[in-house]
Amino acid sequence: MRNLIIFFRRYFNFFLFLLLEVICIVLVFQNNNFQRSAYLNSANNVSGKLYDKYNNVQYYFHLKATNDSLVAENTRLHNTLGTSFDTMITSNGFRTDTIRQYSDDTLHKVTGTRIRRYEYFEGKVINNSVNKPINYITIHRGSAQGIRPNMGVISSSGVVGVVRSVSENYAVVLSMLSKSNSVSISARLGQGKEMGSVHWDGESAGYALLKDIPKSAKVHKGDTVVTSGFSALFPENIPIGYVDTVTIADKSGTSFNIRLKLATNFYNLQYVYVIENLLKDEQQRLEDSTYKLIK
Amino acid sequence: MSILLRNIIRFVFLLLIQVFVLNKILIDQLVSPYLYMLFILALPFNLPRPAVMLLGFLMGMSLDMFMNTMGLHAAACVFIAYLRPFIINILSPQGGFETTQKTPSMTSMGVSQFLIYAAVLVFLHHTVFFTLEVFGFKNPLYLVLKIVLSTAASLFLIVLYELLFFSRK
Repeated sequence: MRNLIIFFRRYFNFFLFLLLEVICIVLVFQNNNFQRSAYLNSANNVSGKLYDKYNNVQYYFHLKATNDSLVAENTRLHNTLGTSFDTMITSNGFRTDTIRQYSDDTLHKVTGTRIRRYEYFEGKVINNSVNKPINYITIHRGSAQGIRPNMGVISSSGVVGVVRSVSENYAVVLSMLSKSNSVSISARLGQGKEMGSVHWDGESAGYALLKDIPKSAKVHKGDTVVTSGFSALFPENIPIGYVDTVTIADKSGTSFNIRLKLATNFYNLQYVYVIENLLKDEQQRLEDSTYKLIK
Repeated sequence: MSILLRNIIRFVFLLLIQVFVLNKILIDQLVSPYLYMLFILALPFNLPRPAVMLLGFLMGMSLDMFMNTMGLHAAACVFIAYLRPFIINILSPQGGFETTQKTPSMTSMGVSQFLIYAAVLVFLHHTVFFTLEVFGFKNPLYLVLKIVLSTAASLFLIVLYELLFFSRK
C-alpha cells in the first residue's frame, strides 16, 4: 500500500497530465454528438455577450452591404405580394389566406384548408467563421424566442446551415461549411429536378460539391441548384448554389461531380432566417415508425 | 507589477487578441496563426508543474468556449504545459535560468534559446491541435503543410509580441 502511494506521488505530474488529457479528449468526442445541450459554448452568457458587443462595432463597417442585401430582399418580397399579380383566373376562388379557401359562390363554403407549414424567424449573426474544418455561426435569438435545435437556417440569398444548440438568447448554427459526413444537404437541379446531395470539401468558403447527380442529367454552367424539400429542414426551392464546373469522377461511374458556387456569401453574413417546420415532428414520427416496421 | 497581476492581464489580453483579432484574419485555409499559448510559454520558471498544467487547461478551455471546439485547444495546451519543463531543462545553462530572471523571455533566455524553446512548443501544440481537429490521416501532406505554415505564422507573432513588450528591459 505504501509503495503504491509512493508510486502515485512520484508520477503525480504524469497522472495529472493523463487525467486532463482524458477530460479534453472526452469533451472532443462528446462534441461530435449532434444533439448536445448548450453549455460552455459560444451561446453561453459570457462569450455570447462579448461577441454581441464586438459585433456592435463590427456591424457598423458592414452597414452598406447589409443595406444592399435588405433592399434586394425587399424587392424580392414585393414581387411576391398579392398586389403585384393580376387576377387572371376568376373561377379559382378568392385569394387564399393562409388558413382556408372558400368557394366562389354565395354559399361561401370551405373548399379546402391550407395549414401553415413553415414559420420564419429572423436572427442577427454575432459571430461567424469560414476558415475552420467545421464552422459555426452564433446568432442572437434563442429558446426564449422560439429557436430549437435542428431548425434550418437560410440567408436572403441561400442556405446557411442547421441550428445545433440553443441557450436562452443565443443559438449556435452549424454552418453549411462543415467538412463532416453528417452535414449534407438534400439538393436537386433547378431545371431537371434530378436529386443529389451537397457537401463542403473544406477548401474554399465560396464553393461546395454536389454529388449523386446521374449522368443522364443535363447540367450547364450557371444552373441553379435548390433544396429538394425532402429533408424537413428546408422548404423546397431555396437556392444552394450555382453550377461552376462539371467533372466525371471516373469513366465507369454513373454520376457527375459538380462544383457549386454557393449562393450565400459567408464572408459578410449579417442576418439569417431560421425556419421552423411545423409538420416536422409528424413527418419524422411516421418515417421512423415505418423504418421500424421494416426491420 | 507583481508576477500574478501581470499573468492575469496577459491571460485576458491574449485571449481577447486571439478571439477578436487573430480568428478574424483570413489568410488561407492552411495558415491559421495562434498566439494565446504564449501565456503558457511565459509562465514563471519556478511555478509547480501541476499548476502549469491546470493553467494550461484553463486557458485552452476558455478559448474553446469562444470557438466551439470543446476540448481541442485544451488538449493541445495541457500537452505543451506538461512538456514545458523538459524543454526548459534541456535548454537551461548550468545554473538554471531562475537565478537571473523569473519568466522565460528573450532577455532572460537569450534570443536563440528562446526561439528554440518557443518553436518546439508551438510546433508540438499545432501538431496536437491540427491532428485532433482534422481527426484522421486521410490527407497527411495537407496536415503537415498546415502544421508547418501555421507554426511559422504563430512564431512570427510570438517574436513580434516579445519585441513589443520585452525589448526595453
